[in-house]
Amino acid sequence: MILNEMLKTSGEWLKGSGPEHEIVISSRVRLARNLQGFRFITKMDADERKRCEDQIRKRISDAHIVPDSRYLELMETEPLDRKLLVERHLISKEHEDARHPRGVAVGVGEALSVMINEEDHIRLQVLQSGFQLRDTYKMANEVDTKLEEGLDFAFSPQLGYLTACPTNVGTGMRVSVMLHLPALVITRHIEKVFQAVSKINLAVRGLYGEGTEASGHFYQISNQVTLGKTEDEIATNVEQVIPTIVNYEKRAREDLMGKDRLRLEDRVWRAYGMLQAARIMSSDESMMMLSFVRMGVHLGLLPQIKIETVNELFLYSQPAHLQKMAHSSMEPSDRDIKRAEFIRSKLNGKK
Amino acid sequence: MKCENCGKRDATVHLTEITKGVKQEIHLCEPCASEKGLPGKAHFSISDLLAGITSASQAKKGRQEKDVQCPTCELTLSQFQSSGRFGCPDCYTTFKDDILPLVEKIHDSSQHVGKVPNRVSQEVGLQKELRHLQLELKRTVKREDYEKAAQLRDQIRIVEEKIKGAGEAAPPPAKGRKKSGESGKKGGA
Repeated sequence: MILNEMLKTSGEWLKGSGPEHEIVISSRVRLARNLQGFRFITKMDADERKRCEDQIRKRISDAHIVPDSRYLELMETEPLDRKLLVERHLISKEHEDARHPRGVAVGVGEALSVMINEEDHIRLQVLQSGFQLRDTYKMANEVDTKLEEGLDFAFSPQLGYLTACPTNVGTGMRVSVMLHLPALVITRHIEKVFQAVSKINLAVRGLYGEGTEASGHFYQISNQVTLGKTEDEIATNVEQVIPTIVNYEKRAREDLMGKDRLRLEDRVWRAYGMLQAARIMSSDESMMMLSFVRMGVHLGLLPQIKIETVNELFLYSQPAHLQKMAHSSMEPSDRDIKRAEFIRSKLNGKK
Repeated sequence: MKCENCGKRDATVHLTEITKGVKQEIHLCEPCASEKGLPGKAHFSISDLLAGITSASQAKKGRQEKDVQCPTCELTLSQFQSSGRFGCPDCYTTFKDDILPLVEKIHDSSQHVGKVPNRVSQEVGLQKELRHLQLELKRTVKREDYEKAAQLRDQIRIVEEKIKGAGEAAPPPAKGRKKSGESGKKGGA
């Protein structure tokens, strides 16, 4: 079962490598495609959804994009496993919650995932560690081209790839970069970033995309416009603003180190102490504490901790991961105990 | 979760503020958030936007009383306005007059310039050529160069024939139950 295998590793995008990985967690490209000859998801009956799923699934396997053994039919997947996929950014929350034939093909290393019958028939995404949008787009484009050789995508010369929602029409492409911006939050400059970014037609979202909160000081910057620009231009638009935000965050960190070093060290060490000692820890609290620790590691304030350890803790201290590791479903209050225990053992065990 | 300000609508804007290490969460509905001038909701509500734009374009044409329906998937314009989602690829043709202004508003463009699937790239190339020729023709007629115009007309005819051929070779459009009496027909591009 690929889910158990997944649990043993932390996925490509959390490697903590790639350009600017201190601040840029990951680069993601998503393409939306629909099959000609089928209605969109909301108008499909179960039978049509199944046929659509089968056809795309077959193509993914035939084109050697992802072996069929790595395809998950979500109707037959346990709710907890679906949550695990969300926590690993392999499926969306909507895909987790839907109640119709649908699935996801997960590539080796989890950089690639292809959702079938989400809002569109196909949502393919490539997620990579660090700031590398070009390479990420290149991979996504190659997969798309392979799919297209055996599938007829709904396309209009004027409006491009036709999607269920007009906000995705055209290229069907959403490019997003996930950033870790604790210093901008602490120095209260984050709002300025939001305002600047939204002025140039880019969106800022929380950790799990649309409508989610920015927990752990993680923010996603993505394009809104999908039509009237080439894929390259869309990627460039997002790409161009990232160095500015990264530098802004770096400067804020330097500022804190210069002016308020003791206070910053205190904050980082308190967070570390809390993670090492707490007996009960909520998800929100651990995200916050880990965020300070992550920044502390990059500033050299906590030389004894590896960044991989922090990244792993972010991933594994999420509810579904904790429950999967414990092989049982748990109430939130029990999870909070388990979470504290897990983090303690990780931090005190290997230094 | 209900909005903490009005307590009526669902909270869709979630703000987290950290003051001296103390985290404070505020949950508001969109109207209350915008009333307070708070950012945080970077994406906009499509249905709001839609209602505004499409009703304006309908009013102009004076056909508010008639709800256009897609012959392929039976989605009506008003259903689209409330859900913001189309029912099938053909909806883009059926609701063309209503959605083009919307698309324009969202993307500040109504012409795709990105990747084209291989199977259509040939046809798109021809379409581009056709548009170019038609433009050329207009200019020639304007400067009363009728000889050149006649040549262009011939060229246009040839390209149009080619497009027809390519269109026939392409796979058939989405099948669906046809509802009688529906007037989904619109003029071509």
